[in-house]
Amino acid sequence: MEMHQIRYFLAVTRTLNFTRAADECNVTQPSLTRAMKQLEAELGGDLFRRERPAAQLTELGQRMQPLLKQCYEAAVGARSLASSFKGGKVGTLRIAIADAVDLSLLIPHLEQLKRLFNALEFKLLRGNSKQIGEYLKKGEAELGIAVEMDKDWDRLDSWPLFTESFLLVVNERHPLAAQGSVGFDDLKKQQLLSRGYCEYAERLSATLRACDIDADSSHDISSEHDLIKLLEADIGIAIIPCSASMPDKLRRAPIEGLDIRRTVQLFGVAGRERTAVASAVMKMLRSADWQPFTSPAMAPAREARPALSIVAA
Amino acid sequence: MAEKTFAELLEESTENSRMMDAPLSVRLKAVADEVNRLSPEFAGVVGRMVARLEANSVGQSAPQVGEQMPDFILPDEKGTLVRLENLLEQGPVVVSFHRGHWCPYCRLNADGLARIAPDVKRLGAQIVAISPETHHYGAELKSYAKAPFPILADVDNGYALELNLLFWVGDEKREAMQAGGFDIAPYQGNETWMLPIPATFIVGRDGLVKARYIDPDYRHRMELEAILATLGPLSAETVGRSISFGAGNGDRSQHEYRRRSTGS
Repeated sequence: MEMHQIRYFLAVTRTLNFTRAADECNVTQPSLTRAMKQLEAELGGDLFRRERPAAQLTELGQRMQPLLKQCYEAAVGARSLASSFKGGKVGTLRIAIADAVDLSLLIPHLEQLKRLFNALEFKLLRGNSKQIGEYLKKGEAELGIAVEMDKDWDRLDSWPLFTESFLLVVNERHPLAAQGSVGFDDLKKQQLLSRGYCEYAERLSATLRACDIDADSSHDISSEHDLIKLLEADIGIAIIPCSASMPDKLRRAPIEGLDIRRTVQLFGVAGRERTAVASAVMKMLRSADWQPFTSPAMAPAREARPALSIVAA
Repeated sequence: MAEKTFAELLEESTENSRMMDAPLSVRLKAVADEVNRLSPEFAGVVGRMVARLEANSVGQSAPQVGEQMPDFILPDEKGTLVRLENLLEQGPVVVSFHRGHWCPYCRLNADGLARIAPDVKRLGAQIVAISPETHHYGAELKSYAKAPFPILADVDNGYALELNLLFWVGDEKREAMQAGGFDIAPYQGNETWMLPIPATFIVGRDGLVKARYIDPDYRHRMELEAILATLGPLSAETVGRSISFGAGNGDRSQHEYRRRSTGS
């Protein structure tokens, strides 16, 4: 496939009219028609029913449209990243990250961009899922990282990055830190710090209640920063997702029988032109190896932090 | 014991081919022959897809010898961003497109490139492989081939399309691949079922294509000796000898490599 063929094809799918598509692409209609015939030959079927001047997509055309669009946008992004490098201006990265998602997920990628693009600027927005959605809608952010988002807006593109489980986190001085494995019974009579900003807080509470654990008398915390301070002071224990980074003096362990997982997703807005830097970050996040977070049992091994079970052994 | 998938059966013969003391084209042909023997049906599907691509000259409009190779900025299998122009400051670059870690021909190709990597380095050049796979699978190809070169992730095939190297696998081949144990969608992180023609470009320090090998039949790859033969004279440039352009540029068609007549 050739890039110009896909550009013409996408113009026809937008206008549903060969004449207007040719105008839009600044080519003559015969060249556009010829390019479409070549594309059809390569794909092995008709893309349009030609009822002049209108063009209706065939079933194959409808199937190919999103696929070709995805590749085309990737090619445009690749090209504009390389050319913006030459111009020295890569643009401002505007990204919104949900409160319940750790910024450290983004850090290595920002470091990479910073290495190549000295002049990189970014705008980092925080909020709950609803607010992340609003930032995207209003165009304040080009990309969003969140767990769940209302599907009430059909222009949201989403790419699942990884699915992770939840772990118990306690202070190293806490009695549970020395225990080989942790079950629901161990959580009874503990002061639970509840991450009110996490979309899964309610689901976790319900699970704990079902196991006779009094989750309702827990402390309600509204930021990860505060949560860490309280854990460091050993004021309570918490249940956190695998990808949340915690200071060294905190210990984590899987909770036997706790089967709640969340999927961290990347969001973008379909049909809106992306800056070179946003499409680069999108590709970096989508191609990244998230496997350290997806292991069902253990915490990420980013630092050589002894796992709870090893401490006990 | 559970019945082996086609992909698993092929893995054994890929391993045998890897051990052969023979040119890359012979090692690749041994795998192609094994595909024909194990599943004439699958081989038939491959033949029809390749015929469709050849009939439409897919990939031929990629950058020609003497043309500028478009710059890229792509992450390697560890997430480090790699830029072509930065590599070219150090010497010529061999840019080798791969379909993925799952493809037996790509494995042998990457393995072959790893074998000549010390010679390439001696000639002052570097190798980069580009595949549409996410880092986890790029790392698998790298470790299989013990490749000292990076495997760059071209997610959604953006750079491959920019070079006019992209093609759609098509329903018949997709179904055959899925049934055979080659479900590539999770490796690529998308559902497009698009693949690059596994082309090889040799790019000089001036950013121009010095040689290219493009074959819509993915069972054929640029012969390793041809890569070294192209890099030889370029290495003189790397050492800093001034070169003249224009008249002395030679016959372009000499650097348009075509497959050997080993048959398919």
